[in-house]
Amino acid sequence: MTNGVPYETAWQNYQTGSSDPVQFDDSSKESLLKQFHPDYQTNTTTTLQIGANQGDVCQRQLAQVLQSNSLIDEVDLAGASIVDTDVLIIGGGGAGCAAALVATENDARVILTTKLRLGDCNTVMAEGGLQASVGVDDTPQQHFEDTLRAGYFKADRKLVSQMVMDGPDVVRWLIQLGMQFDQESEDPFASLSLKRAGGTSAPRILSFRDYTGLEMMRVLREAVTYRPGIEVWRSKPVVELLSNEFGHCAGAAVYDMRHRKLMLVRAHAVILATGGIGRMHLNAFPTSNHFGATGDGLVLAYRLGAKLRELDSFQYHPTGVSYPRHLAGSLVSEAARSAGATLLNGLGERFVDELQPRDVVAASIIRECEEGRGIDWDGQVGVWLDTPRLEQQRPGILQRFGSLRHLAHKCGHDPAEKPFLVYPTLHYQNGGVVIQRNGSTSVPGLFCAGEVTGGIHGRNRLMGNALLEIMSFGWRAGVAAAGLRHNAPHRRLTIEHVHKWQRELTLAGLPLDNHGPQLYPDYANFNLRAHIAGEI
Amino acid sequence: MDHEPITIDVEGRSVTASPGRSIIEAVWEAGHVHVQGVGCLGGVCGSCRAIIRRADSTEVKMVLACETLIEAGMQVTFVPFLERLSDHPYQIDSFKDTWQLVSQVNQTFPEAAHCRHCGGCDSACPKGIKVERGVNLAVEGQLGAAGDIFETCIMCNLCSHICPEFIDPNHLGLLVRRVVPSLVVRPFNLMQRLNQLERGELYFDYEAPEASTEERD
Repeated sequence: MTNGVPYETAWQNYQTGSSDPVQFDDSSKESLLKQFHPDYQTNTTTTLQIGANQGDVCQRQLAQVLQSNSLIDEVDLAGASIVDTDVLIIGGGGAGCAAALVATENDARVILTTKLRLGDCNTVMAEGGLQASVGVDDTPQQHFEDTLRAGYFKADRKLVSQMVMDGPDVVRWLIQLGMQFDQESEDPFASLSLKRAGGTSAPRILSFRDYTGLEMMRVLREAVTYRPGIEVWRSKPVVELLSNEFGHCAGAAVYDMRHRKLMLVRAHAVILATGGIGRMHLNAFPTSNHFGATGDGLVLAYRLGAKLRELDSFQYHPTGVSYPRHLAGSLVSEAARSAGATLLNGLGERFVDELQPRDVVAASIIRECEEGRGIDWDGQVGVWLDTPRLEQQRPGILQRFGSLRHLAHKCGHDPAEKPFLVYPTLHYQNGGVVIQRNGSTSVPGLFCAGEVTGGIHGRNRLMGNALLEIMSFGWRAGVAAAGLRHNAPHRRLTIEHVHKWQRELTLAGLPLDNHGPQLYPDYANFNLRAHIAGEI
Repeated sequence: MDHEPITIDVEGRSVTASPGRSIIEAVWEAGHVHVQGVGCLGGVCGSCRAIIRRADSTEVKMVLACETLIEAGMQVTFVPFLERLSDHPYQIDSFKDTWQLVSQVNQTFPEAAHCRHCGGCDSACPKGIKVERGVNLAVEGQLGAAGDIFETCIMCNLCSHICPEFIDPNHLGLLVRRVVPSLVVRPFNLMQRLNQLERGELYFDYEAPEASTEERD
């Protein structure tokens, strides 16, 4: 990367501003993505050699963990205690909580296990909002079409149509649980305020300030904590799924961090709601994701035989903080651009329609920086997100953006006086485990919901569809999983699928000493074997 | 800029890291294992609570370790997740009668009326929320005003841990915020859309021209 325009010069250019009206060339989106979006760079992908997606293109770092060996072996299971439940939910974010609440409403006993605490997840960090077509000038049909178009028509239509039709019901359910949304006035009957997301045909974003996810998660967390029938386990990562004699999912091997021992959970159904992969820092990008987003669910599901999709497609959110360095990757919500904030390069010029889909905006920023028009601030490169002019045009608007102001404060500036320096940040895994409408996978007994799944967003996600997805598919998976509670208990709890997997690894010449899932990011210095042995 | 490493004390261990690091990043950089009590790393999940004392200060402060930068001589102790001693379980759908709302809230959190006005909750809050005022307003029955005070609460539970009357202020704050939408808010545009869906008035066309592309296989 060329270093770009030095900070002082760029700041002069910013203050002068460019008076030229900007015309954006929309014809070259495809070549823009091919040339600058990280997904399309050939050196970032490889081909999977084993598993249900053998022969498919996959991001290189992801392929390495997907084709990893188990963290445990037969000997580790000996003497482990067994706990029985109807539904085991893995992951304490929005999808896991929605699934847990609905499963208990359907009379299932639930254990929800998380490697951190309940609510340590990406949901709590979602700032922008939730898409649901409630506007007078909007329909679920338009929501369906916008979602498909943004995902380059690669999404699964039956999943998308179900999700958009669930949208209004999801909002009703959340309001009944006690979640607040911004409304047009203080009147309790006032319409929900609607904002427009990039790449959509109508205003459809429902939000609460610019911390919608925090509002959603604190309500869900409280509801789950107080709901009889849900047992919440914290500090208990799942290290392997368990299979029965037919290869169906029969439960999971869970590591108890506090007591340093493995335990086995036998369940009629398992719901993986483990979220995304940001903390794998694909292609050396910073991330907006929470600490636990290490892609564990993908690894566990793939080893048990589940089919995955779009393993080479990730969302880089256009506006991650670039300076200061220690905050790199922290997110400035799309709500800022949605409200009218523009992006400017080091010459003080706009270079893209800021409300294009995220992949286009991100690729445009990377183009500006690679071609030397970015701003170089003490070695950190990016473009301006122009909050001061937004405030000038709409005085008082930044008051509504608490998260944005808090982030600016941490960066050491006043967002009404100085723009943010931003660069794309690894934000979302577009693909994931292939599911049916009820969240079921190609492995009987295994369900998935939320970011760990694929098929809803195609190759690019719209703002606001993630918060809708986790509720819609969390519900669906919760109902379907609870429906299996009358099945006969699994007679055998094994890791036979791991032995088969090890044979495949060996035949393909892949290393056996590469273990996964990762559980925690490398830089946190965790090692499961050392932890079990009491060495760390 | 000064690039000299900074040394802090974390639970009796000496931790040396580059300047500009948060407490958590410093612990990692020094090679220590630290995987619990870490969450969003963005200041909204309340997971990484810590008690600190700065070198030049007698004050003991509660902070979030993900957004507190290290300073030479700083002493740090992490606050682990604590099982709650007092608890106020409720089901939101048990709040049905709006005339009984204030008394039902007070019955659910009976200790709230015993507030000693010690200000402990205010000093514990890493987000600067006027917790005590919020509790007092809720007891008076000013539920809307009380709820507004807790709008930016991240549910870190530090105020609940410190309260000598076991009020659980942040959970009380969340309850008074939850009852409003649950019982009262019925937005016009949402209601209209739900009615349309119930009456089956929204026709859905999977194969609409706008939903397809020639590239589609």
